[in-house]
Amino acid sequence: MEAAKHSVLRLFREKWAVADVLLRLALAGILLAASAGKIMDPQGFSAVVRDYQILPSALIAPTAVILPWLELVLGILLLAGRMRLGTLLLVNALLLTFLGALIANYFRGIDVACGCFSTTREASSPMLWYIVRDGAFVALALGAAWAYRARLRRGLVD
Amino acid sequence: MKAVYKTLTQAVAIVVLATALSLGVNALRPDGLPLVEAKTSATRLDQGDGEISVKDAAMLFASGRAVFLDARSQFEFEQGHVQGAISLPPREFASQFQDIKPRLMGKEVVITYCDGERCLLSHALAEHLRGAGLKNVRVLKNGWTLWTTEKLPVEKGS
Repeated sequence: MEAAKHSVLRLFREKWAVADVLLRLALAGILLAASAGKIMDPQGFSAVVRDYQILPSALIAPTAVILPWLELVLGILLLAGRMRLGTLLLVNALLLTFLGALIANYFRGIDVACGCFSTTREASSPMLWYIVRDGAFVALALGAAWAYRARLRRGLVD
Repeated sequence: MKAVYKTLTQAVAIVVLATALSLGVNALRPDGLPLVEAKTSATRLDQGDGEISVKDAAMLFASGRAVFLDARSQFEFEQGHVQGAISLPPREFASQFQDIKPRLMGKEVVITYCDGERCLLSHALAEHLRGAGLKNVRVLKNGWTLWTTEKLPVEKGS
């Protein structure tokens, strides 16, 4: 009985560990892919940020400069598995902000170029696709936070 | 509480790191963005595809030869619009056009506008108007931004 309980617990733990690692690596891949093009082309990315028409013009250049590097740093930290709490908080906050910006512009009737993985201004896909895709990323990030919390609570990581 | 504190300190540390990295690289790279941007000129040439420049629009406005149709949402219209403009979001066209039609009579030009370089509402509205048989319809691209940048007359309310 004790042995059975032990193995069930272990299975449960490993399930969370597997989810934790997979979600973390998936998010790392997304963030690193997203940051690369933007870091290469700050001009293009600032034009995309301007097209969103959400930030006042004084904040456009700083955002275009800092945001891709934040994505890069978060991607690296996710890969390395360091500073997990802060990383997961920021990743969730970022993705939710993007989702909010996309939805806001969808309802404002402004067809923005997503600027998610590239910096070309031509809007190539419908806004709804971007929104659905970012919604899926948010689900991944929330899942990663959930899995990590589950492991923390069971004292499996510190 | 301890976890919250740890999460927040990590998040702040990550943001500070990313900001420092990005500003450093931006300062060093030859194609770095100027963080304080010069304002871009508001005037633009007629694109030759049914659009009108803000200069021409302002002139037609001043002489009372044009009627302005605001293609943005009712909410945005109430926050501020071109003086004397009529609110007509494209999706309301079918239900509202008959009421508005008499007010377009006796004007030389109908000018539609919304906000932003990539806003398609004004173009959609112009298409509706042309479809309803109006001849002289022009789109003032990025209209609201240009109009306010040039400090041309505006008003609030419905």
